[in-house]
Amino acid sequence: MHDYAFSGGAKHPKTLVYDPMGPRTGRRAPPAKRRRLLLHGRAVGFSPFFRSLSRHLLRPPPRASSAPTASALKGEAPARAPPALKRSNLTRRRAEPFLLESSSDDESNLDEDDEEGEQDDTIEEILQVDFEFFDPKPDDFHGVKLLLRSYLGDRQWDLGGFVDLILEQTTVGTVVKLNRTEYEEDEEDDYDNARRGADDDEGPYAVISALNLGRYASHQCIKELKEYLIEICHENGVKNKLQPMLEGQQAHSTGLLVCERFVNFPHQPVPHLYDALFDEVSWATEDEETHEIRDSFCFKFYLLLTRIFMKKSSYDSKGRNFDSDEPIVYTKAEDEIFHKVMGE
Amino acid sequence: MATRIQFENCCEVGVFSKLTNAYCLVAIGGSEHFYSAFEAELTDVIPVVKTSIAGTRIIGRLCAGNKKGLLLPHTTTDQELQHLRNSLPDHVVVQRIEERLSALGNCITCNDHVALAHPDLDKDTEEMIADVLGVEVFRQTIAGNILVGSFCAFSNRGGLVHPHTSIEDLDELSTLLQVPLVAGTVNRGSEVIAAGLTVNDWTAFCGSDTTATELSVIESVFKLREAQPNAIVDDMRKSLIDSYI
Repeated sequence: MHDYAFSGGAKHPKTLVYDPMGPRTGRRAPPAKRRRLLLHGRAVGFSPFFRSLSRHLLRPPPRASSAPTASALKGEAPARAPPALKRSNLTRRRAEPFLLESSSDDESNLDEDDEEGEQDDTIEEILQVDFEFFDPKPDDFHGVKLLLRSYLGDRQWDLGGFVDLILEQTTVGTVVKLNRTEYEEDEEDDYDNARRGADDDEGPYAVISALNLGRYASHQCIKELKEYLIEICHENGVKNKLQPMLEGQQAHSTGLLVCERFVNFPHQPVPHLYDALFDEVSWATEDEETHEIRDSFCFKFYLLLTRIFMKKSSYDSKGRNFDSDEPIVYTKAEDEIFHKVMGE
Repeated sequence: MATRIQFENCCEVGVFSKLTNAYCLVAIGGSEHFYSAFEAELTDVIPVVKTSIAGTRIIGRLCAGNKKGLLLPHTTTDQELQHLRNSLPDHVVVQRIEERLSALGNCITCNDHVALAHPDLDKDTEEMIADVLGVEVFRQTIAGNILVGSFCAFSNRGGLVHPHTSIEDLDELSTLLQVPLVAGTVNRGSEVIAAGLTVNDWTAFCGSDTTATELSVIESVFKLREAQPNAIVDDMRKSLIDSYI
């Protein structure tokens, strides 16, 4: 099992740090040596408050500016620091996609007294965040369930069973979390594990997996998923192509590609996430124990269920015609690529 | 018998419902699936009343009650109060109380004889609880948490408390409440017991994420499995075979 460490905000932004352990080691490889300050993973939490806070702060900040900058958005962010951030005496973290080219000066500034930084909302801070790719574990259940809550819209279905399937398939699938300090890596301590599991801030930020529809056809969640897909598919042409993929012999070579992440997740790790998934699929075709399971990863088709927004009219009220005014809005950037490549 | 249900894909069923020995309150706006689960168990036995409290659906956490009475926060509207008075049996005293801590479900937990209260409740409120609910009130904390109503759920036959409750605390609480207590979780490791579980003397409803182990602990501590020879086979089958409702 491979673990990749993607460092956002590194000195060399495109550096992909991965552990040079061989692919066949069963144990989780120790993380790469960190060049930056080790920070407690107290980043963007999962509460709506934290997410809105990070959205407001997620703009390229004026560097070293101490003058208060008036801004309507800033006015919304509270002057007092959120209690959870105060609890950790270390620098607050958040994803910062715009600052991947930041220089090493930032790293030394990180250690400055953050307590006053938290009080004074006018100085925006640059935070370094390390995302790491992990194999799915049963502890991730609640986090992954949260990510997949709107997978089938607001339909009531066996989401718990679906998440269980993803987490059981440890060989193919990745969960993106923040990196942990040495202290937290002691996984022998069950008590700490339980406490940590309850801590939302260290939950998954993104999940990707590929499930064979034929292999799991008997599970309630997959049956409900198939019913849902057939139900919402209105075009007969698409339905005719879809149906054999879901049922029958073809289902065994169809992989359901599940990729969900939080809205403000940086786009940089995403291609690596997909690469990691496809690598794992090809390794699984060689490494898995039984012949059946190896075959189940020989996907001929991938099915990706995603949400896009289509504009009702082709131009807006002001009659502008910019590039940004496209008829389709993709929530995930890669969907646009998939859409164009597949040619509808 | 413990049943697993969901309210609109949310496993925190104790937030959207309140179950006692004399009545059951459920929040409006859920799917029919939610109501049918309650009605299947309770229809001819106790009334199942759909309501809102203070215009919200989190009724399980806003009100506290047992078979003798129901306490509502000051934010309850007059219409809701009247609706509840009309729908509940006459012997149930429905009372709206003026208390700063308005989430009574989180601050007060009770069965038909004993209640545990938030340490910061007003003296007047404590008297009101003793009066309306006909219980003996104890100010307590559970595993260091002052929100006693959230971290424990108990009936006349047993109780489930926060998983990190120490043995000494368990013994002390058990003596106070006079029921056997067990420290455990619901909804696959959630510590907020009362949010994930709602229980009375003969039935319990918990979130659909609850594992089979948790369910068996719940059934054993609340003594929900009838000890009748012919019922054993059926009941054991239900708790052994995971079924998704």
